[in-house]
Amino acid sequence: MKILVTVKEVAEAADDFEIEGTDIGEQYLEYDLNEWDDYAIEAAVQLSETYGDIEVVSATIGPERSEETIRMALAKGVDRAIRVWDDDIAAADLDVAAKTRLFAAVVDEEEPDLVLSGVQAADDGFGATGVSVADEIGFDWAAVVNHLDTEDDLSTAHVHRELEGGIEELTDVDLPAVLTIQTGLNEPRYASLRGIRQAQSKEIAAFGLADLGLDADAVDSPISRTGMYEPETESDATYFDGAADEQAAQLADVLREKGVVSE
Amino acid sequence: MNFDLPAEHRMIRDQVREFCEEEIAPIAQEIEDEHRFPEEIFEQLGQLDVMGVPISEEYGGLGGDTLLYSVVAEELGRVSGGIGLSYVAHTSLGSKPIELFGTDEQKAEWLRPLAAGDELGAWALTEPGSGSDASDMDTVAERDGDEYVLNGTKQFITNASVANSVLVKAVTDPEAGYDGISTFIVDPDDDGFEVATVWDKMGLNCSPTCEISLDDVRVPEDRLLGAEGEGWTQTMKTLEGGRISIAALSTGLAQGAYEAAKEYSGEREQFGKPISTFDAVRDMVVDMHRKTERARLLTHKAATMYDDGDDVTRASALAKLDASEAAREVAEDAVQVHGGYGYTTDFPPQRFYRDAKLMEIGEGTSEIQHLIIGRQLGL
Ligand SMILES: Cc1cc2nc3c(=O)[nH]c(=O)nc-3n(C[C@H](O)[C@H](O)[C@H](O)COP(=O)(O)OP(=O)(O)OC[C@H]3O[C@@H](n4cnc5c(N)ncnc54)[C@H](O)[C@@H]3O)c2cc1C
Repeated sequence: MKILVTVKEVAEAADDFEIEGTDIGEQYLEYDLNEWDDYAIEAAVQLSETYGDIEVVSATIGPERSEETIRMALAKGVDRAIRVWDDDIAAADLDVAAKTRLFAAVVDEEEPDLVLSGVQAADDGFGATGVSVADEIGFDWAAVVNHLDTEDDLSTAHVHRELEGGIEELTDVDLPAVLTIQTGLNEPRYASLRGIRQAQSKEIAAFGLADLGLDADAVDSPISRTGMYEPETESDATYFDGAADEQAAQLADVLREKGVVSE
Repeated sequence: MNFDLPAEHRMIRDQVREFCEEEIAPIAQEIEDEHRFPEEIFEQLGQLDVMGVPISEEYGGLGGDTLLYSVVAEELGRVSGGIGLSYVAHTSLGSKPIELFGTDEQKAEWLRPLAAGDELGAWALTEPGSGSDASDMDTVAERDGDEYVLNGTKQFITNASVANSVLVKAVTDPEAGYDGISTFIVDPDDDGFEVATVWDKMGLNCSPTCEISLDDVRVPEDRLLGAEGEGWTQTMKTLEGGRISIAALSTGLAQGAYEAAKEYSGEREQFGKPISTFDAVRDMVVDMHRKTERARLLTHKAATMYDDGDDVTRASALAKLDASEAAREVAEDAVQVHGGYGYTTDFPPQRFYRDAKLMEIGEGTSEIQHLIIGRQLGL
């Protein structure tokens, strides 16, 4: 059995960043593994530890710089990694559809039984790639999975999905499937130092568009970024003083005033 | 000349830093206040392969180099000097000598559990009457058949109360001076071994510092480390590596104090603006950065030379002297930058300040480092 985990190196802006053109200045960015993906990796590695005989492969779309981040996944127990990149991809503004085409091509190549992705990426936050890939490759899917059990023969995943308003959906998904993993599903491990050392010699295979049977059209996008600005932040905090009942009365007044509750 | 850490070292640094920030930083002051050795942290460090970083893989270690070990020690120091001290005493003093001077059997029995992090190591040189003049020791080991009988008192022994093995220096030939000293692997469970005192200290209180008494402790002859009379040359070699680890730990203390001050100076406002905009405060923070960088460069240089097999007598003494001084000065300034809050235990600078002071005392005082470097310079 094979599990494919999609992982992304995400940019995080420093506290005092500046916008240059339509992006945050490169000097203000730090790169790290997308938080959601850390949980997806942990889920895959735990499955492989539980069942044995499962190969865990990570796939990422990203420049050479991202190899250090990918190696952290390898250090935590991913067996090998695929990195998709070339000049055409670098020049493109990747939207969800483009990423879907790239990952679908990787799925064609690898034929995994289970694909795990993070719910969303911490930087662009589309929150759509996992489900979009499932649709493209014709797998069943479950999005925003915060609890995962598997049938002993790995035919079915019993999942809890986190919905809005604190509601959970309990559902079964037959494999092959795509699950998008929510933070809190498990407790991602620290990489052991031996794991990090061993990861230095694990394979990170580089694929370009041509290697995946695609051409530059695959990363064309009708979407383009036209501007970037920092939204004005307003903070409007009200402090209540006094004993608990006085504070409660003041809170009630505010809630009425703001129209949260009726008179 | 390349000043970048290799990718593997960077990754390990980042992962150890994450562990330190998540697991150690939140309890760093609490374990000081409680004078509690945090066993659970050392257990986790063992699982992450931190406890045997510079020990060969053959004996369960990570097989990393001294540079990697320095990077790890610095990260521990950045959050907790006490955990850092127990770590470097375990590694440089308690484990490394067994790897360097032990037989295969000794390594299998005594080094392996240390390197794997299942057990903790300690090293006992100092005595009540002999500190800087360490070879002038009173502890003796007399041969009796195929055993040695140890008698004496050892002072300020890090980890002795939590260790599973203590490397004890003792005189086997009182006539032979430096060549009359030998090293023994002592098990705290051996009859006659007693931890007489665990000291209350100015800082580093989560790291136990013990007085131990050896009262007719009988050890079989296979507990002799190396040959009789080699104890002093082993000590010199051990301290050369140990000083690099104290330098690394000191760099970490300086880094932690510098970061705390830099952050605070940007947030704290007086006279309507952040205090970092006042020249006096800015200059203090800049100097903290300068001293920390200098300490790190000297430490990495000494570590790299050690890995290259060069003579590091001067380089390790220089790194230790400079980094320990930097740590104390930077930590003191961090208290100053924090004003009254820096004097409270709610903020970490006072802890770095307390912890840093020991770095100018342990493994050879600053005066002794000057003496060593002066000698190296032919003065
Ligand atoms: C927290 C802690 C942990 C320790 N851990 C260990 C351990 O694990 N194992 C171990 O064996 N030891 C350990 N030590 C002992 C430490 O190495 C000694 O305290 C140190 O070497 C100084 O010895 P001393 O305390 O006897 O001071 P002394 O040697 O009495 O020194 C007193 C003062 O005299 C100065 N002085 C002495 N001789 C000279 C000279 N020739 N020239 C100029 N100045 C001189 C010193 O620099 C110092 O300022 C530890 C100590 C502490 C406090």
